Amino acid sequence: MDRRSALKKTGLLAGAVAMPSMLSLLQSCKNEARLTWKPEFFTKEEAKTIGVLVDMILPRTDTPGALDVKVDVFIDRVIARAYDEEGQQSMRAEIAKFNSLCKDNYGANFVDLNEDRRIEVLKAAEKSNGKFSLGVWGTSIGEQEEIGFYRSIKSMAIWAYFTSEEIGKNVLNYDPIPGDYEGCKPLSEIGNRWSLG
Amino acid sequence: MANYNIDAKKELTYDAIVIGSGISGGWAAKELCEKGLKTLVLERGRIVEHVKDYPTMNLDPWDTELRGGLTPEQKKKHQVSIRTNWVGTDTEHFWADDEANPYTEVKPFLWLRGHQMGGRSLLWGKQTYRWSDLDFEANAKDGHGVDWPIRYKDIEPWYTYVEKFAGISGEPLGLPQLPDSHFLPPMELNCVEKHIKSRIEKEFDSRHMIIGRCAHLTVPHNGRGQCQNRNRCSRGCPYGAYFSSNAVTLPAANATGNLTIRPYSIVQSVIYDDAKRKATGVRIIDAETNEAIDYSAKVIFCNASTLSTTQILLNSKSKRFENGLGNDSGELGHNLMDHTYRVGAMGKVEGFEDKYYKGRRPNGIYIPRYWNLDEKTKNDKFLRGFGYQGAGYRGGNPANIEDFGANFKDNILKPGPWEFFITGFAECLPYHDNQVYLNPDVLDKWGQPTLAIDAEFKENEKAANKQIQADAVEMLVKAGLKDIVGFDNEHPPGYGVHEMGTARMGRDPKTSVLNGFNQVHAAKNVFVTDGACMTSSSCVNPSLTYMAITARAANHAVSELKKMNL
Repeated sequence: MDRRSALKKTGLLAGAVAMPSMLSLLQSCKNEARLTWKPEFFTKEEAKTIGVLVDMILPRTDTPGALDVKVDVFIDRVIARAYDEEGQQSMRAEIAKFNSLCKDNYGANFVDLNEDRRIEVLKAAEKSNGKFSLGVWGTSIGEQEEIGFYRSIKSMAIWAYFTSEEIGKNVLNYDPIPGDYEGCKPLSEIGNRWSLG
Repeated sequence: MANYNIDAKKELTYDAIVIGSGISGGWAAKELCEKGLKTLVLERGRIVEHVKDYPTMNLDPWDTELRGGLTPEQKKKHQVSIRTNWVGTDTEHFWADDEANPYTEVKPFLWLRGHQMGGRSLLWGKQTYRWSDLDFEANAKDGHGVDWPIRYKDIEPWYTYVEKFAGISGEPLGLPQLPDSHFLPPMELNCVEKHIKSRIEKEFDSRHMIIGRCAHLTVPHNGRGQCQNRNRCSRGCPYGAYFSSNAVTLPAANATGNLTIRPYSIVQSVIYDDAKRKATGVRIIDAETNEAIDYSAKVIFCNASTLSTTQILLNSKSKRFENGLGNDSGELGHNLMDHTYRVGAMGKVEGFEDKYYKGRRPNGIYIPRYWNLDEKTKNDKFLRGFGYQGAGYRGGNPANIEDFGANFKDNILKPGPWEFFITGFAECLPYHDNQVYLNPDVLDKWGQPTLAIDAEFKENEKAANKQIQADAVEMLVKAGLKDIVGFDNEHPPGYGVHEMGTARMGRDPKTSVLNGFNQVHAAKNVFVTDGACMTSSSCVNPSLTYMAITARAANHAVSELKKMNL
């Protein structure tokens, strides 16, 4: 596959994007994001990429953001301890590909782009990354499209966020022992989604 | 609860031996012990005491290091069962070690096993439905397989008997093809399910949608607590709210003082005495020490699970039975069945965005069979029938939403769209060439020959699946759902986890392995009352029928013992 068609496939080449000048793209203080934790699997650069991604997907608002509940640390741990070597290598290659596409398009790795450019990258990925088929009892139904790197990180980030103790207990509706089942309640009496699946 | 007596060292002789402690073995143990027989239960795995040995029962996702994810080592150990996507750190310890217990898939077949006290009764789906004469007469009427030696009237009192002890919740419907059980109060449908029920029952004359009938207690029952709607059943229930051997039958057996349960006991064979012309005991291999030990008893109940029971019988060779105990007919190992599974439809439901439910109900809906009940409902594309299970819930996959950032985060903290699905379970005909046999070329960890499984769904099941999908889509369309997706994952057998047959009951010793009381025709003190005994598969979940058949056979065994007939 040549590079241009690879770019098309991941959708990072959204329409006719003019190559902007290198200078306008680079953040003025690119090494500002210092890593404050020690990854098990990721390199420091990879960990920063994941950190910026999950922070953009689930930022801090009046509720905690992904980084507040260490979503990046957990994703690193899952890849280190739950992935086999093949899965790990593929994850590494996907991050490299993601960065090289950013470089080809905008002249820099993802973490070194300014915020507007990063948003462009994510918006394009949202369009192009495929969707998960719906599932029934552990099986996905219908044809499963190919899932891109961004969508799979987004999915992991949401899982990690929802299953963190802070979000699972204090933001979502935590009810470990419901007692009775009530099949039809006004949503207004409940609020957020239930925490436990 | 009193500790179990696991000391089978001194005593090598018992009145009865039960091989296996799952759903049917637990019932055999309870019935035989309560009728005064000193009973030895042989369990291939470890002891799992109710509550005490449920290490994950109260864990939240954040309590485990990978929040449910498995390590590569665990995935290797459970290489068969993980194909279902049902195995996580919460239940991993209740799924068998697939590496130590290999089998050969001549054609693809998923064999799920639970090698511990309680077996798969800890993990089962708990859907419990009576079979009817539509099922027991099916083979005789269309000529596939052999006739069942029993009819509904033979088993009806035993359904009642086991239901009253086990506790089955559900709603009576008065349908001849799905007889009502003795019910505890039914679980509740949610608003979307109620809506779809009324639409389907209005649009389709003879179709019904009901809450699943299930072995979950909706009120306290026989000293056990009611369901707390945690939906953490497969970790073991601290309330004993669902039926498992561990929570229900084995404690009852133990309370008699007649029970010995020996863990780590892999049954190598049933010992047949050519001179006495009956079985005299069971040979085991101790899974930890590899020591071979013989235990004797007057009656032997085989409840190792469908395929394991047949594996043991095939491996029980003697001068009299060169091809396996009770295999005069040549049918031992044949006529393996399972239900088709994971074919149906799902869609989105609009108009209930302001409604939500409370609690995680471990149960769904059921649509009983409506094809081929009589002349009026005859379908010329396939024989027999299917039923559906399903559920309505707020789902969706937040990762699919084309958005990110602050608004996106606020949005996904709210419940997703209402979805509803139904998936069919179709009856599989008994085919002689759907079979298992011993494979001496692949040995397990203990040097024993393993099973080769050679089975597939054929034209009739495929035709039923087509109808399942078409009907499912049609019902969801008429119920007003949106974005409907019909699906057929074309699973090979095994995924239904309703494996049945391979040592079938029948009227004629020339064409069957067991008689009408589950006795091996030519070795009447050997009983097979797990799924191996099934002569046809119905489209209805089989576990309740195993319970009833087992209690009935145990009663017969004791009565025959008293008459000195065994």
